[in-house]
Amino acid sequence: MQEKLVEFANLLRENGVRVSLAETLDAFSASEVTGLSERDAFRAALRATMVKRASELPVFEELFDIYFSGLGEIIKQASQAVQNALSMSDQEFQKFLDQVEKMLQKEGKNLSELARQLLQNNSGEMERKIREASRAVKLNGIERTIEENYFARALARQLGLDKIEAEIKELREQLEKMDIGSELKAKMEEYLERRLKALDDIIRRYVRMEREKRDIKQKEDQRLNQIGEKSFYYLTEEELKKMNEAVTRLAQRLKNVITVRRKRSKKGRFDIKRTLRQNLKYGGVPFKLRFEKRKKEKPQVVILCDVSDSVRNASRFMLQFVYSLQDLYSRVRSFIFVADIGEVTECFRNNDAKEALDVALTGDIINVYAHSNFGYAFRNFVTDHLGAVNKRTTVIVLGDARNNYNLPHDWCLREIRQRAKKVIWLNPESRNTWGFGDSEMDRYAAHCDLVEECRNLNQLYRVVDRLVAG
Amino acid sequence: MFSSIEDVIERFAKNNYIASRRIATVIYLATELRKPVLVEGPAGVGKTDLAKVLAASLGFDMIRLQCYEGLDEGKALYEWEYAKQLLYTQILKDKISEVLVGAKSLTEAVDRIAAQDEVFFSERFVLPRPLLKAISSEQPSVLLIDEIDKADAEFEAFLLELLSDFQVTVPELGTLKAKHIPLVVLTSNNAREMSDALKRRCLHLYIDFPDRVQELAIVKLKVPEAATKLAEEVVTVVQSLRKLDLKKTPGISETLDWVKALTLLNVNSLDQELVTETLDTIVKYEGDVRKAQEELKDYVRRVRARRGTEAGSDKDLLN
Repeated sequence: MQEKLVEFANLLRENGVRVSLAETLDAFSASEVTGLSERDAFRAALRATMVKRASELPVFEELFDIYFSGLGEIIKQASQAVQNALSMSDQEFQKFLDQVEKMLQKEGKNLSELARQLLQNNSGEMERKIREASRAVKLNGIERTIEENYFARALARQLGLDKIEAEIKELREQLEKMDIGSELKAKMEEYLERRLKALDDIIRRYVRMEREKRDIKQKEDQRLNQIGEKSFYYLTEEELKKMNEAVTRLAQRLKNVITVRRKRSKKGRFDIKRTLRQNLKYGGVPFKLRFEKRKKEKPQVVILCDVSDSVRNASRFMLQFVYSLQDLYSRVRSFIFVADIGEVTECFRNNDAKEALDVALTGDIINVYAHSNFGYAFRNFVTDHLGAVNKRTTVIVLGDARNNYNLPHDWCLREIRQRAKKVIWLNPESRNTWGFGDSEMDRYAAHCDLVEECRNLNQLYRVVDRLVAG
Repeated sequence: MFSSIEDVIERFAKNNYIASRRIATVIYLATELRKPVLVEGPAGVGKTDLAKVLAASLGFDMIRLQCYEGLDEGKALYEWEYAKQLLYTQILKDKISEVLVGAKSLTEAVDRIAAQDEVFFSERFVLPRPLLKAISSEQPSVLLIDEIDKADAEFEAFLLELLSDFQVTVPELGTLKAKHIPLVVLTSNNAREMSDALKRRCLHLYIDFPDRVQELAIVKLKVPEAATKLAEEVVTVVQSLRKLDLKKTPGISETLDWVKALTLLNVNSLDQELVTETLDTIVKYEGDVRKAQEELKDYVRRVRARRGTEAGSDKDLLN
């Protein structure tokens, strides 16, 4: 059993569940307490000791089913199939097996062990044999569908399928000579043939199951990677939904990191006044020291988000991200622009994410069907909203800088930068295209502290990491 | 302690707690292996109750430590009462001088004082907080560390020593070892991911919202005075509410509150005017209330339609 648990722990690890050695040991002792006979309790014991994240529970459930009902279940099903083929009831089959055993005692003296177990329906021992053999052929290295045939053949060779075949053939010849009823003889013959097929079947299904185990992880990996790397421009409805979740999680992560950082700098300089006051009750003996509290510098963020047609899909995400940020920080002011610029802070604060985005993108606040004009938008921002920017503000601009050959007015951005703590520009276009055609990115980049390409979720992750770190 | 998993279920049921097999197994394991349990799950599924019921069904004391941001050792473990110690020395000044009478040298005086060490550094001046209480308690106890995710990461690290060895070091007194190893239950709402080190030391239990049958059983157990029909209706509506995208999904405690409120108001079916006014017992945000109202209307409409067809068929029979 211990071997099996270790193997299961490895399997969990391969599928991205972190299981430590100590946890595997816990699983041993837990399974000793619950025993193995009761499946649900055993499952609960392993779940409690090996899986510590709610998000990993589905993987565990799936693997547990495959692993612990796996081979045993396959063997059971195979013998059930044989029984059905012979159209016998449970009782008849049992009786028949007794007869088979008698015959084997007489005739099958030189049968190999596995053949005997196969014919006697000894599933437990068979399972053990097949597992041993699969270890010998390194079945756990299987990865692709094409390899199935190869591994099935290797496993069959390891088990000595040829030999078993020959032995059973021999047995059938001997059966011919035996004098038992012709009906029984026919049944026996069919039984032998079906059993042989069953073994073949078991091997094939076991190999396929092993491959599927590995597949769960791959499928999951692929899916996540795809979404992570896929550009905002080409996402489907379904992916949009998943993306929204991811963005919200990302924002949450940002918050977690920030709370931790605030803790670290809790104490400031020694505070004499408060120390004296605090220690009056000890007769002025300073038992308890008091320190000044560091002022928490609340991050202030001003976000300018381009929502023109050219970045429509990307801006949905950016806005989602903006929305989540605004939920987390108290001092975020959000603006959207195409040519006009308008503030959406209040709208985001009072509405659900979905409604808020709809309001922002349907043109209730600014005309979203105009041609984008960054210069005009920046100039308006400087004249109307420059008060929102002070030396503690981080300004984030989200846009592709495609200015339709209008005046760039990059002096506005310079002015903003002079007042702000930092100006960050996130561009959903590929870096190679910056500066070509009507893109004014190069001109604007000169007035930013950080310019990043941000066309998919992974890049957004990286940007957030940099923001958090710096 | 419990004799089997069934025993856990039975004894919990006696204390008005319906434990699924999964929960019972983990609790049984925790008592057998003497390991802490980390309970996670959405708010209002009975995480805290689990610890209370565990204590009640074993007849143990329950010691509760509520975590919050900025919780430190002084509030969780113990505090040294300097003021009291100082006061004692002040009051006993005469007695101290008596001890020192006749001391010929400073060394001798110090030695004499040192001989009285236990008086100055004894448990008398320790103000035990929940963790120390749990460790030094004479009776076996259940220690509930509630909402551990609200505490800081440093506090979590500090807990590790306690959870693995069940001993704490008080500088003034030395290391205290637990007389009885307490059963520890930690709950978390997942506001923050717990560290792997902590998770590794605990059994993990994830409690999700119960299914319809379970929830109905819980309602019947906790609010026996509620009409069966009302309970069924409420549970159906709450289950469908959970599928909506709400800011705060209603938990079991909200279901119970709602049933209680409705029973108190003598409401016996959900298609009454009063019901919409009590919705704020289950949903706590304005936007959610709006969504819930719509869901409720939908439900009532469906029920009426069904009843309509039934009544119709009755009429057919009469004709």
